[in-house]
Amino acid sequence: MSEVLIKTDNLRKTYKSFGDEVEALRGVSLEIYKGESVAVMGQSGSGKSTLLSIIGGLNPPSTGKIEIDGIDLYALSQEKRADFRREYLGFVFQQFQLIPYLTAMENVMLPLTTTSHSGRQKREMAEHVLARVGLAGKMNRLPNQMSGGEQERVAIARAIVNEPPLVLADEPTGSLDTRTGEEIMALFHELNSEGLTILMVTHNPENTTSMGRTIIMKDGQLCTDKAEILQLATRKAR
Amino acid sequence: MTLFQIAINNLRRRKSKMVFVVLGLVIGIATIVSVYNVVESMKEQMTRQMAEFGANIVITPDTGELAFSYGGITIPEVLFDVEKLSMADVDKINEIPARQMVRAVAPKLLGVAHTGGRNVIVAGSDLQSEFTIKPWFRLQQPGEMGETILVTGDAGEMDYEKLNLAREDISTLILTDGEVLLGAAIAEELGVMPGDTLEIAGREFQVFALLEEMGSAEDNQVLMNLAVSQEILQRPGEVTVIEVSADYSLGSEATLLAQLVGALPQAEVTSLRQAALGRDEMLTRLTRFGASVSILVLFVGMLVVTLTMSGAVRERTREIGIFRAIGFRKSHVTKIILMEGAMVSLIGGVIGYVAGMVAARITGPLLSGMEITVPWRADIFFGAVLLALFIGALASLYPARQASKLDPAEALRFI
Repeated sequence: MSEVLIKTDNLRKTYKSFGDEVEALRGVSLEIYKGESVAVMGQSGSGKSTLLSIIGGLNPPSTGKIEIDGIDLYALSQEKRADFRREYLGFVFQQFQLIPYLTAMENVMLPLTTTSHSGRQKREMAEHVLARVGLAGKMNRLPNQMSGGEQERVAIARAIVNEPPLVLADEPTGSLDTRTGEEIMALFHELNSEGLTILMVTHNPENTTSMGRTIIMKDGQLCTDKAEILQLATRKAR
Repeated sequence: MTLFQIAINNLRRRKSKMVFVVLGLVIGIATIVSVYNVVESMKEQMTRQMAEFGANIVITPDTGELAFSYGGITIPEVLFDVEKLSMADVDKINEIPARQMVRAVAPKLLGVAHTGGRNVIVAGSDLQSEFTIKPWFRLQQPGEMGETILVTGDAGEMDYEKLNLAREDISTLILTDGEVLLGAAIAEELGVMPGDTLEIAGREFQVFALLEEMGSAEDNQVLMNLAVSQEILQRPGEVTVIEVSADYSLGSEATLLAQLVGALPQAEVTSLRQAALGRDEMLTRLTRFGASVSILVLFVGMLVVTLTMSGAVRERTREIGIFRAIGFRKSHVTKIILMEGAMVSLIGGVIGYVAGMVAARITGPLLSGMEITVPWRADIFFGAVLLALFIGALASLYPARQASKLDPAEALRFI
């Protein structure tokens, strides 16, 4: 059994909405191992994106604890947590979230901006990952000069340029057509087979086929309903 | 990719908004630069004019004047009881309590003497005091008429503001009793050159040098030592006029004038500075008005920068969220916004300086009613750019803080 990379312990998150308290997470405990690829599925409002933002160090839980590679994430100061995100995490956001006025190359170089690498090193690293995701010839294009699939690839390249051990992806195929979505999932599968740990939020069951494990969330909790899990397993088998 | 590149790329993308920010700063800086330059140039021009007066106090004999009307016929003014000035009066000036305010005292005897078949005005003076009090005096170079040298030895244009009236090199200008200096016009009229001999009132003098043409009374005068002039004009110990150069930064003008009047009751003490005071007052008011307008305009410019950049930060909420999510610290986000503010300020400062200078050069003479020139000055340029940077940084602080405080999770709307 490989080492645990992510360990959450009874995570709870409560928001205030128009004076009412809304429980987005209600005691989530899970372990994700190094080199795993895990899909988190669930209906809208099930808390899967909240879980991802907490694991991403962007959103402190109301109670509970989360450790990544043995580091208690929310025991770190905000600035140290920013450093942690730079070193340990790669984000692939919904809708790509590329910076519109930067080229593909510059977008990919963003996480390297505040590192100590030389300009040449940064450029080489960005070129390498862009070639890796199949965009060697489109490095100097602006996001609006690229297709959705290409923008997604840039977003993935940006997430892995720092060579983080963990990539968090939030609905990475949500705005892509089926074929492009499949290509992107294949890319994630390749990256995972090279040792990268991937935690992906998705509501598309098709995406779970290329993932090693699937977690289902319902009403802010991990789903333990055997019928639902079985239903998903059947869909996967098909 | 660096923070600087991110900042510059964002500015490029938001050109129209940034034009507003630059414009706000340009107007503020241009106003300050133009007002400052006009006022400074006016001050310089007035200082020059004051310096051209040379002496700022003139002491002449007090003459009783009376106009008669007899049987409907007006008889010209009659002078009576004229108390002549003497060398003793010079000593009295040197003994007044406010003596430290007096930079130079130049007694002078004016008279008419005969030379070469015609009359010339002879001016006897202490030449060193005379040259001290009249810094524009220049000698033509011996043997090369028309080419001039500065008595100061300074080959450049005379800087009246920095003028040192105690120039040491004047001490080398010593005329013997047998030498004279000639004004440019009289020298030409008499057809004499330095080194020539001239007979004045039956006595032979050698021409030591010629004065450069100045368009003043000295052009037609023969300058010699005071004692010699008293001798040839047969007016021993007598002085026609005493010119005094005073430094009003060392004490009160009123006190000095009162002490001079007290020491020389028989003389007429006239302050040439009074004439300039009206303009000085006007200049002070203009400076205050200009400073007020400049501060106001600059404040408005600062508000424009703050509001525009705050708006830009709000528009970039998601983008800042991405920066934070991928590992930018708050300080990195702050730096980006401050760099953008600094770059815009730099552009605003440079354009503002140029615009201000152009405005000053065009409107300066019209506003002041004086022939002023507004020079391009590096110190004002750097001052304007630094001021713009300071204002820009100050105005960007709030938007930068706003940006750094953005919650990345909220910014990305993860939920």
